[in-house]
Amino acid sequence: MLCAKNIHFCIKQRPIVDQASLSLEAGEVLAILGPNGAGKSTLFKILSGELGCNRGSVGYNGCPVQKLKSKQLAEIRSVMPQHSQVNFPFTAQEVVELGLVACKSSKPKQLVQEVMEATNTLSLKNQVFNQLSGGERQRVQLARVLVQIWEQKPFPRYLLLDEPTSALDIAQQHAVLKILQDLKHRNIGVLIILHDLNLASLYADKVALLKNGMIAGFGQTNDILEERLLSKVFDHPVSILTHPITGSKLISTDRYLTRSTQNFKHA
Amino acid sequence: MFTPALNISKLTLRGTILGGMGLFLLIVGVFSLSKGAFSIPLSQSLAILLDQVGIKTGDFTQQQANVLLQIRLPRILLATLVGGGLGVAGAALQGMFRNPLVEPGLIGVSSGSALFAVIYLVLVPSMSSLLWLQQIGLPLFAFVGGFIHVMAVYFLGQSSGKSNTTNLILAGVAINALAGALIGLTLFYSDDAAMRSFTFWSLGDLGGATWQKIPLAGILIALPTILLFTESKNLNAISLGEQEAYHMGVNVPSLRIKLLLLTALMVGVAVSLTGMIGFVGLVVPHLIRISFGADHRLLLPASFLLGAILLNIADLMARTIAIPAELPIGVITALLGAPFFIYLISTFNQSKN
Repeated sequence: MLCAKNIHFCIKQRPIVDQASLSLEAGEVLAILGPNGAGKSTLFKILSGELGCNRGSVGYNGCPVQKLKSKQLAEIRSVMPQHSQVNFPFTAQEVVELGLVACKSSKPKQLVQEVMEATNTLSLKNQVFNQLSGGERQRVQLARVLVQIWEQKPFPRYLLLDEPTSALDIAQQHAVLKILQDLKHRNIGVLIILHDLNLASLYADKVALLKNGMIAGFGQTNDILEERLLSKVFDHPVSILTHPITGSKLISTDRYLTRSTQNFKHA
Repeated sequence: MFTPALNISKLTLRGTILGGMGLFLLIVGVFSLSKGAFSIPLSQSLAILLDQVGIKTGDFTQQQANVLLQIRLPRILLATLVGGGLGVAGAALQGMFRNPLVEPGLIGVSSGSALFAVIYLVLVPSMSSLLWLQQIGLPLFAFVGGFIHVMAVYFLGQSSGKSNTTNLILAGVAINALAGALIGLTLFYSDDAAMRSFTFWSLGDLGGATWQKIPLAGILIALPTILLFTESKNLNAISLGEQEAYHMGVNVPSLRIKLLLLTALMVGVAVSLTGMIGFVGLVVPHLIRISFGADHRLLLPASFLLGAILLNIADLMARTIAIPAELPIGVITALLGAPFFIYLISTFNQSKN
C-alpha cells in the first residue's frame, strides 16, 4: 500500500499541502483532481519521495519513503513528471531503455519490446525523440516509466503520473488510460493527476479532491464525483448527467456566469 | 543521424566505430612524429619506433632518433592524453548540465585551474625546494581551482532546482571574469618570468612536453576517464533530467559530485600541463553526437579518441604552419572552435523557437 498520513508542507510559512492523507492499494487507480494551485504537483512530489514534508509520513508497502534508497524506491514505484525535456539526440528506444538504468532485469530487450508495443511506440523506436510530436513524446515517456515496473515482481508496485494525457488527442487519452487500467492485473497501483473529470469518472476507482492544499474529498469515484462537492472545489457550477446510451456518468460544466456562481456560493 | 543496419548489433557497431577511430589516431600520431621543423621521412620514423621494440628495419641517425623519441613522442602522448581528457570532460559536463553548449573553458573550470596554477607558481618557488612537491603541487592546485569554479557555476546556474542555459552561461562569464582579474592581480605583484608564463596559461602550449610529465598525466587523466566510462548509463539517465534520473533510481547528489570531481581533476591536470586549450571539450562531443547519437556508452570513449585526434592535428598545424616558430596551440583550437561555437549558438536558438 502507498500510504500518506497527515502530510504538511509549507513554503515561507504558507501551507502548500495541509494535513493531507490518502492511500492507494495495488490494483487500484486513484485520480487526484483539483483546481490550479491546489497543491497537486507538490503532493505528487512528496508522494514520489522527491520532496520531503515538514510533518506527516509517506510509506511504500509499510516502509517510510525516506528510509528507501533511490535504487530501492525505483523498484517499487515509477514516476512520470509533467514535462521532461531531452536536450540530446536520443532515439525513442534509447529513452525507453533508460527506464531500466538502475534495475537488474534478465530480459531487458523483451521488456522494452513489450512496453513499446503496449504504448504503440514501436514504429517510432529509431526516430530521434526530439523530432517526435508532443503526443508521441508523451507516449514514449510513458513507455519509459512503464518499463521500469513492467516485469512481474512478488511485491506490489506503484505508478505515479502527473497529467500524462495533457498532450494527447481523445483517442490517445483513452488508449493511455486503458493501459493504466490494465496494470491492475500486474499488481500495480496507479496514482494519476488529471484535469478531465470525465476521464476520472470513467477510469478511476478512487478519487481524491484537493483544494488549497487540503483533501476536500477522498473515496470511491461514485461517492466523490457529485455536483455539490465538485462545484465547491472548482468554484464553478458542475452538473452531472447520465449518458443516454452507455448510462455512465457525464460531468458537464456550465459556461462562466457570475450570477450562478454567486448563487451556489450562497446556497 | 547514422542509423545502424538491423543485422549489426549495437555492441559490434560501437566496437567498429571505436576501433576505426583508434586506428585513425594511430595514423595521425605516426604521421605527426615525422613532421615538424626537423623533418624525418615516414619510413625512418617507423624504423626508429620498431628499433625501440628490437626490430631492425632501416638506418637512421642518432639525431633523428633523439628528436623523435625525446621531443616528439612525449609531445604526441601528451596531446593524446590532454585532448582525450578534454573531450571526455566536455562530454561528461554537457551530459550532466544537460546542455550542449557547456565546455570546460566556458563554465570556468579551465580559468579556475589556471588561476590556482598561477597563484601556485607565484607563491611556491620561494617556499619549496622539493622537486616532487613541484610536480604534484601544480596539478593539485589546478584541480582545486577547477573544482571550486565548477561548483560555483553549477550552483549559480541553477534557478529553483533547474539548470537554465542563460543563468549557466552568465555564471560562467562572471566566474571567468573574476578569475581573469585575479590572475591579472597576481601577475601584477609578481616578476617578469611569471608574466611570460601567463601567455602559456592563456593560449596553451604543448612545447613543454617531456617524459617526466607523461606518468603524471597518464594516471591523473586516464584514471578519471575510465571512472567516467563506468558512469555512462547514469549519465544517460541524468541527461533526461535530474528529477527523472532520481525517479529511475540514480543517486543524483553522489553522481553529481563524482562527475564534478573527476572532470575538475582531468581539466585541472590538463591545464597545469599545457595551459588553457579551448573548444576541444565543446566541439568533440558535438561531432560525435551528430554522427553517432547521444548514448554516453559510445559518446565518452569516442570523445576521448576524437579529442586526441583533433589535438594532435592542431598541434601538427601549430608546429608546421610557421616553421621554425610555433603557433600557440590554443590559437589554432580557438580559430577552428570559435566559429563552430557561433554556429552552434545560432542553431540552438533556432531549435528552441
